Amino acid sequence: MARALGLAAVTALVAAPWILPPYHLTLLLPALGYSIALLGLNLLFGTTGLLSFGHALFVALGAYTAAVMTTHLGIKAFELVLAAAAGVAAVVAVPVGLLCVRYVKIYFGMLTLAFGMLFYSFLYKFYTLTGGDEGIRVGRPTLLGQAFEDLDKVAFLTGPFYYYALGLLGLAALGMHRIVTSPFGLCLRAVRENPDKAGSLAVGVRSYRLAAFVVAAVFGAVGGTLLAVPTGLADPLLAYWTHSGNLVFMLLLGGFEHFLGPLVGAVVFIFLQDQVMSLTPYWRFVFGVILAVVVIFFPRGLMGLLAPRARAA
Amino acid sequence: MMTSRRRFLKLTGAAAAAVGLPAAPARAQSGPVKIGVLAAKAGVTAPVGESGLRGVQFATDRINAGGGILGRRIALVVEEESSPKDTVERFRKLSLSDKVDVVSGAVSTGVGLALGPVAEEMKTIWLAWDATTQKGVEETMPKPRYSFRSCDNECEAVMASILTAKNWKGAFRRVAGINPDYSYGRDNWAAFLAIMKRHGIEVEVVSELWPKLGSTDFTSHVAALQQAKPDLVFSCFWAGDTPIFMKQAHAAGLTQGTKFVLTTGGGVHESMKKAFTPEGVLLGYNSMYFEHPRASALMKEFVRWHHEQFKEWPNYESDHGYFTVVAYKAAVERAAKAAGGRWPSVDQIVAALEGVEVESLSGPRRYREDHIMEATFFQGYTTHKNKHDFVTVDPVEAMGTKQIQKPSGVGLYDWINSWKV
Repeated sequence: MARALGLAAVTALVAAPWILPPYHLTLLLPALGYSIALLGLNLLFGTTGLLSFGHALFVALGAYTAAVMTTHLGIKAFELVLAAAAGVAAVVAVPVGLLCVRYVKIYFGMLTLAFGMLFYSFLYKFYTLTGGDEGIRVGRPTLLGQAFEDLDKVAFLTGPFYYYALGLLGLAALGMHRIVTSPFGLCLRAVRENPDKAGSLAVGVRSYRLAAFVVAAVFGAVGGTLLAVPTGLADPLLAYWTHSGNLVFMLLLGGFEHFLGPLVGAVVFIFLQDQVMSLTPYWRFVFGVILAVVVIFFPRGLMGLLAPRARAA
Repeated sequence: MMTSRRRFLKLTGAAAAAVGLPAAPARAQSGPVKIGVLAAKAGVTAPVGESGLRGVQFATDRINAGGGILGRRIALVVEEESSPKDTVERFRKLSLSDKVDVVSGAVSTGVGLALGPVAEEMKTIWLAWDATTQKGVEETMPKPRYSFRSCDNECEAVMASILTAKNWKGAFRRVAGINPDYSYGRDNWAAFLAIMKRHGIEVEVVSELWPKLGSTDFTSHVAALQQAKPDLVFSCFWAGDTPIFMKQAHAAGLTQGTKFVLTTGGGVHESMKKAFTPEGVLLGYNSMYFEHPRASALMKEFVRWHHEQFKEWPNYESDHGYFTVVAYKAAVERAAKAAGGRWPSVDQIVAALEGVEVESLSGPRRYREDHIMEATFFQGYTTHKNKHDFVTVDPVEAMGTKQIQKPSGVGLYDWINSWKV
């Protein structure tokens, strides 16, 4: 069942440019970016049992890396941007993670929230470096050395960039699947289920949590670079706590127990927001109600409904 | 391998382009004229967004009652202005999915900086209300094609500074600034100090305070101001923070004997109650003052309509909204005349918008050739002599943007330093 669903999702995403109108394709782009970020967040939450309320820090870090490289440094190659974003995220995640993984549950959540807001304040206040509230523009990147100058921005986004992002999501999903099914992933689950027992079996609990934190950060930053290109701007709101909240919402909506949960959560959240935002200015209220309903009645999210027995590998 | 991958990517790009947009989006030439509206509906900018939307609605009702634009009625498609990322997505929806003819709206320059390039990419005309494409005080899009933006962010500070220099020179030396902690606040304060210097007024900055935009508690700031004992307090608060600050400043006795310059507080004029706003404060109403003694018949009609509909007296954002719609109508009609009566193309409308001048609520308004709005700004000294429970201004001073907005292609401080004073 899970494999069939996965295959259907891949087919739908590959065929989307021939089926969906351009606007809905541009909406799929942030969904792809969020999916990668959520794969990382779910390694922390679903697999390791640590809920971060500050994951937007790394999404914003990816977006700002893309902005600085394409605007200030004039480096347009998206492969370099991705590598730099991943590197910067890892460098930031190690010290932040070292402090955060000393704690679990609400204390871990509060610490990650604090670091997220610290980064938001940095982006907002150090305006000579970061552009403050006005942010930094993100230039159009080249993909595999191709500039696609003959395509306008929408055609670029819905054509080459879409497939590039989809390919990246595919790689990220394969990589994450490899991680969660590896002995490393098994250790992470052992740490989630019973840290004392895992520790007694010579599993370094903090080291494993830190490793998961760093991997999640790298995925978050890669997702952030994908979000920044369609918007064309990196701004401090990307690091704001509400953005971290949205990431957790997407994860719960999709279902954190299932490997495809992040992807489903991101796509449904974005298309739902698109529809509800046009219908009512009170869309935040509607989303609050949906979140409450999901948590109370469908704690395993949409994937729990679609594939009740399929659990994360 | 490399060649085939590149070919694949090119092919997919071309295929997407084929199923996607043509280079210049085709717009319907019959049925209603669709105007997309981006109005803030939540947070500190929500009242401003609502006010702009009312101006758009008033213009639309009048135009539709008069037969529409070249016989086509206007239909509004309203979306929310929020974060830059979400607003860019809304803009794309309006352009690609709703296929609107023009987008009117956006008040935040943070959003404007993201929307400007997107409007260019989408080849969709965007007429901003209050948003600019300035980074700090410098223009980032000196030659836009489809983006038309608002007056410079610092116009109101320039006008207030000129009035301060003209009317209060010699009456103050110790100055304090309390401004919202973002680019608008910092730039307006810097412009004020630069203009004081240009006028040869020696000031001593005794306090610089930067509360968060939309703050609701100024106790510590007021205490700091009391300590600093300024002769004059300068603030460019524009939201609900203005009356809260004045209330707390008044309670602490700070309003007695201290001059206040509130460049943009007129945006929330109904909250500036007489109980805590003294007479003699220099208060700015941006580009529309609802109770101007020489208001046009149009302005009087709008104020009446606004009060009947919403039981409130309108503020300046309504006129930004109103102007964008009537300017678009005028440009379409002008371009159609040149095109032999046919509905003009997007590029023909853009050409007609450049330099277009129309009668707006507050008087004549136009777009400069570099797509920047020109309007008249209104400020004055507060009075309690009116029928309301809030302050109004008397006398009202008016200055055009030719006097208070930097010319095309010139830096703000170079321009200020070039003044003959």
